[in-house]
Amino acid sequence: MSLWFELIASGLITGGIYAVVAIGLNLQYGLMRILNISHGEFLMLGAYLTWLAHTVLQVNPLAFLPVVALVMFVAGVLVYRLCFYRIVSTAPAVEVIEARSLLVGFGLLYLVQNLAYLAWGADLRGYSFLVETLEIGGARFNLNRVVVFGFAMAASLALLAVLRFTLIGKAVRAMMQSPTGAQLVGIDTKVLHPVVFGAGLALAGVAGALLSTVFEISPAMGEPYTVTALIVIVLGGLGSALGSLLGGFLLGLVETFGMHFTSPSLKMVLSYGVLIAVLLARPKGLFTR
Amino acid sequence: MGIVHFVRGAAAVALAAMAAVPALAQDVRIGYAISRSGPGAPGAQTSQEPNYIMWAEQVNAAGGLNVGGKKRKIELIGYDDRTDAETMLRTYEKLMTSDKVDLILPPWGTGLNFALMPLAQRHGYPMLSPTATGRKLLSLKNPYFFPLLQQPDVMMEALATFLKARGTKTAAVVHVDELFGLEQAAALEKAFKEKGIQIIEKKSYPFGVKDLQPVLRDIKAKEPGAFIALSYPPDTFLITAQSKALAFNPSAFYAAVGTAFPIYRDKMGAATVEGVMGLGTWNPKSGPAAKAYFDAHVARWKKEPDRWASAHCWAGLQILQQAVEKVGLDRKKIRDYIASTEFDTVIGKIRFKNGENVSTPGVVSQWQNGEFEVVWPPERATASSQFPKPGWN
Repeated sequence: MSLWFELIASGLITGGIYAVVAIGLNLQYGLMRILNISHGEFLMLGAYLTWLAHTVLQVNPLAFLPVVALVMFVAGVLVYRLCFYRIVSTAPAVEVIEARSLLVGFGLLYLVQNLAYLAWGADLRGYSFLVETLEIGGARFNLNRVVVFGFAMAASLALLAVLRFTLIGKAVRAMMQSPTGAQLVGIDTKVLHPVVFGAGLALAGVAGALLSTVFEISPAMGEPYTVTALIVIVLGGLGSALGSLLGGFLLGLVETFGMHFTSPSLKMVLSYGVLIAVLLARPKGLFTR
Repeated sequence: MGIVHFVRGAAAVALAAMAAVPALAQDVRIGYAISRSGPGAPGAQTSQEPNYIMWAEQVNAAGGLNVGGKKRKIELIGYDDRTDAETMLRTYEKLMTSDKVDLILPPWGTGLNFALMPLAQRHGYPMLSPTATGRKLLSLKNPYFFPLLQQPDVMMEALATFLKARGTKTAAVVHVDELFGLEQAAALEKAFKEKGIQIIEKKSYPFGVKDLQPVLRDIKAKEPGAFIALSYPPDTFLITAQSKALAFNPSAFYAAVGTAFPIYRDKMGAATVEGVMGLGTWNPKSGPAAKAYFDAHVARWKKEPDRWASAHCWAGLQILQQAVEKVGLDRKKIRDYIASTEFDTVIGKIRFKNGENVSTPGVVSQWQNGEFEVVWPPERATASSQFPKPGWN
């Protein structure tokens, strides 16, 4: 009993982290067809900002989350204006946006990562935070992991609520369903695109800030998260925020259970096995209508 | 004597003019490629490149490198190899053939050193490699390759002897699915078998794993006397944090690469890592030379060197310096001198036999009060061991 509980909890914690990384990326892709392959680099920036704030100014990383979100949001708006605005406004078709944004994303990936190398060097960095143990129902966890899970969930659910219950959320959903239709009824893409791109980066930054409380950080830390986020997005469906959340959980659970009942070395096989199975059975993602 | 020097100098000038080398021809040019980015960067920038730079600065501050009695400044030529074998090879090829550097310093990690060995042999450049280990590399019998770290079987033999002497009967092992983990695991199995320590569980996991709690939970249930993780830095951190969460506290808790990094203590907390053992060789208490090196490193870089490969790297630079002082910049002569001489270094005497450093013994180190104390073998120990390991704090 306690074994099952622990496995499920472990899987959900891992999955929740995957989800919050994926949602930001999916938001950008779903709305603008911008495939921002440098998503993980902005996650890394969020982690470094938090580490700096904690080690230099002794700020509590959790209290610093809003600052990270704001800084990354502004950065997102700027990056959008500098790098993606022209692509989105001049591309003749959405496929062209995908291809061109992918190239720009690669450029940003190297640029941002190397700026981090210049600024902080390649050393591993990290700080000790909430290293106590939390016992829930006989199972034991690192407190910082549980806290990260809680905040990742809060951020994801808040975003889902915004999309569902607010006017701007409605506009975003309308844009996702039918870009042309949405513009016809007066939704302003000039405002919406940068805002949503900024929100995507803010989520990446928050994810990085949270991860920095658990894992050690380095300028190359972001890339694996981008890859995982892409898997999660395909699992959950392109453009579906709820799908990303559930897709993240699914991937986390599959990995945890698979590693327990087979071998940890098969982790990659399991992740990609699920991905291939979903692509064969439901090519548009598990949770799309 | 003076005439010989004059002739030698004139020849050098003539050669330099022919090769159209710019005005710095009098400097000793030493080239290398190293991981400043990519997955190898944290290791390379912890254990290796800071030492290269600090060494060149120290030598130059003392007037230069003594080349057969004449002091010449060192010009370091370093490039980023992005932890990419292709980039690394092209860089060294350029350094050796078109830049014609006098000497090279090796890249980071077993894989990249392995890839560079044939090129170094072809062009006759000695490699004093600070971060390459494995019998597989030695079995190539490359006469220009001198790895400074202890071989896996030497390290695992020391661990097995240490544990046996403390009555350990069972052990559980996890290892990372990379050449390093596989070789260490094979060496460990052999050593434990010889000492009669039974391995009751052995699992591998992929590099970059983010959750090992389910694995550790199973191992905890089997109650091994010792737990050995043949891990890389990210997993070393992960395994420590999750073992603590599970209150998995065997009598001996050992993790491989990364335990010797100061960041391990700083990130996990000195109280948490108390009693954790791992791969190490030295610490500032190992002797006056070690202390001097440690202090210089802290003064120059505002960070402590790691307690394993950093000092091996420094030892390699000392060996190179002593060889050049003795035989000049003739690389064949340098090679022969390295192969046949016993050197005094920061980690004690070093002598190579068939390319292997046969002087540095297998060492077991353990975190105690914020220092990675050497606890085995007795003649190198800087503290007595804590056994069994205290509970997690």
